[in-house]
Amino acid sequence: MTSKSKNLPLELPTPRRARFSLHNAWRLRLKGLVLPVLIVLLLEFVVRIGWLPSYQMPAPSEIALTLRDLADGALWKHISASLLRVLLGFAIGASLALVFAAWVGLSREAEAYLEPTFAGLRSIPSLAWVPLLLLWLGIDETSKIVLIAIGAFFPVYLNGVAAIRDIDRKLVEVGQMYGFSRRRLVRRILLPAALPGLFTGLRSGMSLAWMFLVAAELIAATKGLGYLLSDGRETSRPDIVLAAIIVLALLGKLSDGLLAGLEKRFLAWRDTFNGQSTED
Amino acid sequence: MKSTFRFSSVKYLLSACALALSLQPLAQAAETPPAEVHLDYAYYSPVSLVLKHFGFLEKALPQTKVSWVLSQGSNRSLEYLNSGGVDFASSASLAAVLSRANGSPIKSVYVYSRAEWTALLVRKDSPYKTVADLKGKKIAATKGTDPYLFTLRSLQQAGLSKDDVELVHLQHPDGRIALEKGDVDAWAGLDPHMAASQVQAGSRLLYRNTQFNSYGVVSVTETYAKEHPQTIDTVLNAYEQAREWAVKNPEELAKLLASESGLPLAVATLQLSRTDLSSPQLTAKDVLASKAAAPILVSEELVRRGVNVDQVIDQLIDTGVKQTVARQ
Amino acid sequence: MTAHLLDIRVERKSFAATTVLKNIHLQLQPRETVSLLGPSGCGKSTLLRIVAGLEKDFQGELRNNAGEVAFVFQEPRLMPWLTVEQNIGFSADNHYDRAWVAQLIEEVGLGGFAQALPKALSGGMAQRVAIARGLYSRPQVLLLDEPFSAVDAFTRMKLQDLLLQLAQRHAIALLLVTHDVDEALYLSDRVLVMDNRPSSIRQQLSVDLPHPRDRRDPQLASLKALSLTELQRAHVI
Repeated sequence: MTSKSKNLPLELPTPRRARFSLHNAWRLRLKGLVLPVLIVLLLEFVVRIGWLPSYQMPAPSEIALTLRDLADGALWKHISASLLRVLLGFAIGASLALVFAAWVGLSREAEAYLEPTFAGLRSIPSLAWVPLLLLWLGIDETSKIVLIAIGAFFPVYLNGVAAIRDIDRKLVEVGQMYGFSRRRLVRRILLPAALPGLFTGLRSGMSLAWMFLVAAELIAATKGLGYLLSDGRETSRPDIVLAAIIVLALLGKLSDGLLAGLEKRFLAWRDTFNGQSTED
Repeated sequence: MKSTFRFSSVKYLLSACALALSLQPLAQAAETPPAEVHLDYAYYSPVSLVLKHFGFLEKALPQTKVSWVLSQGSNRSLEYLNSGGVDFASSASLAAVLSRANGSPIKSVYVYSRAEWTALLVRKDSPYKTVADLKGKKIAATKGTDPYLFTLRSLQQAGLSKDDVELVHLQHPDGRIALEKGDVDAWAGLDPHMAASQVQAGSRLLYRNTQFNSYGVVSVTETYAKEHPQTIDTVLNAYEQAREWAVKNPEELAKLLASESGLPLAVATLQLSRTDLSSPQLTAKDVLASKAAAPILVSEELVRRGVNVDQVIDQLIDTGVKQTVARQ
Repeated sequence: MTAHLLDIRVERKSFAATTVLKNIHLQLQPRETVSLLGPSGCGKSTLLRIVAGLEKDFQGELRNNAGEVAFVFQEPRLMPWLTVEQNIGFSADNHYDRAWVAQLIEEVGLGGFAQALPKALSGGMAQRVAIARGLYSRPQVLLLDEPFSAVDAFTRMKLQDLLLQLAQRHAIALLLVTHDVDEALYLSDRVLVMDNRPSSIRQQLSVDLPHPRDRRDPQLASLKALSLTELQRAHVI
């Protein structure tokens, strides 16, 4: 049984504390930038003096120029096409996964029937789906979104089931004692208690969604960042390839950051070690 | 500390350069056969199939390990060349221009065929009659290859740009499937897949134009040209052997093409009927032809801004190798 | 003769091959405090769970005239994502009676913590919230399963006094399971001493002392001696 050493949360003077932690946060971010900046500078130098041929590894300054040119033109079209696919595919895959995770997590019967099939499907590598989906669903948006949904599905499903199974039986009993119906148990206890694991699954699913997006767009696309990637490849433009990769990395980081932010907000109640000194 | 480091590394560089330069004449005088040579072969280059089949090169270079890579299109060939996967790449000449214009240091040394190998196809029951009918429609075309450039030129002629249609990037065999399945409205075909679609699925050539087809070239990297001129000679001699056999034995050639590509004889025959293997040299006419075709690369923004494409073509097409081939 | 609030008869309760409870007959009057005293594993928690309706598989009969019955577990079992206030009103979803909850918070001595999260509470505070949660539904009977076994001795004494206060104020009958003899005697009107398993009620001790009781009262001490003797006879200690 946990025994807290304090009886009251310490009321510390907030302003000083807030300033201090903000300062720390910025210093932390700066530290994180040191390595990438060093790499960029090194690459620039190495390509400029010719140790690496620029037709294989363009200098970062060149990539920056390419990005600027793209930003003047079609980049936004590609970004919006990719974003739309990722978000739609992720939404579909994640929702389906949540439904199945709840079903399998709550019912031993469902688990017995469904889990082996899902385990088998899960081990199919992403790229192996591509030719099949192209054959069945054609080269349009449908096959791409389905591929992305498949990618997002499994991490969310797996983490969801684990999260539900991990739930403390003691909490569930409280609900049973109150005579909660199945639905009410799920809504009031199981879902909130499984939320930490679910978020882990969602973030994992999101990054896989991006990966499957690129796989989908490398084959038979007319727009999108993966299309841009293959565009650069087919016309001997490694600078476009790298520009597309950079944009993909940024967008991936942004979307993950969004989820992380949501996670922080919804899971502020967690009593776990997070390295912070304030309680909020 | 810093200055001494730089000084010593400069010294090292200088001595390395001196050594290399001193060895250069030696290198040119007696170029030893390379340990390995990598070539590509493709169904759109029938002579490459002959060369590989009869082993002329293996006989000419007994000390060398000769390896072959199948290429599914100019885009792949040039990619392999740029990454060092092959030493000799077979591609459309305009595709090679595009690649060079975007910074790849390559040189074309041989013409493996002059063919009408690409056209715009539609399904046999399709309602489209002209290129202009394709406005807003889906066209499958492999980016970075001659069919793609053919499409752009045809569209331009019909008053359309690539933004007026939806160009779907699919490798040649996949493009054919997409057309026949109905996933796209038109396909920029490449032989033999184009011939196969005509013969097997009854697809119709919506638009053809020999002028918009570019000839096929074998290219090497600049470095390779500098370091292995004799090897290039040997390879081109072997190519000539193969070409002569091909010209003398059209029926066997068709059979070989059919068996290698896995397509019926009728398809091979159709492809070869529009392939000219008679003149393998790169001439001034070819330079002019490329220069005439090049503006499409600029107008469709396939090359970086500010590139002088004419200059690129001059750098690309190696007039020096003309001698080797003319000797035959 | 006031009607029994609860009338429980358990002829037999088994888990797989083991019989845990045998021939138990227990009645609870309004405003009464009854303790079940016995060793760990003797089935007293099981009995409590049967009364609560958490165990349904037994041979016997449960007659519940009490209406609302609330349960307080050994651990606080608060929902970590809900505030103290929300935890107390848990059974009513989001439409809990805020005024009533506020009053309960004051009564259990947690004034000012309405918006606190469970992670900010000490063990004793969390258990207070659990008790308040139990009281929310205005039960006539409160079932408590070793409610103070996880807190330190001093907190335990404070919480015992709190419990008595609340039971008095809200006219609640308490059925309490404990292995602490002192606690049983301090709190209860009747102490039922239970056997090892298969367990039945071995002895019933009446504690006829008025509330508030003094822990130092020698009568408590002699009653304790009686209980210990009985427990010894039962080979419990």
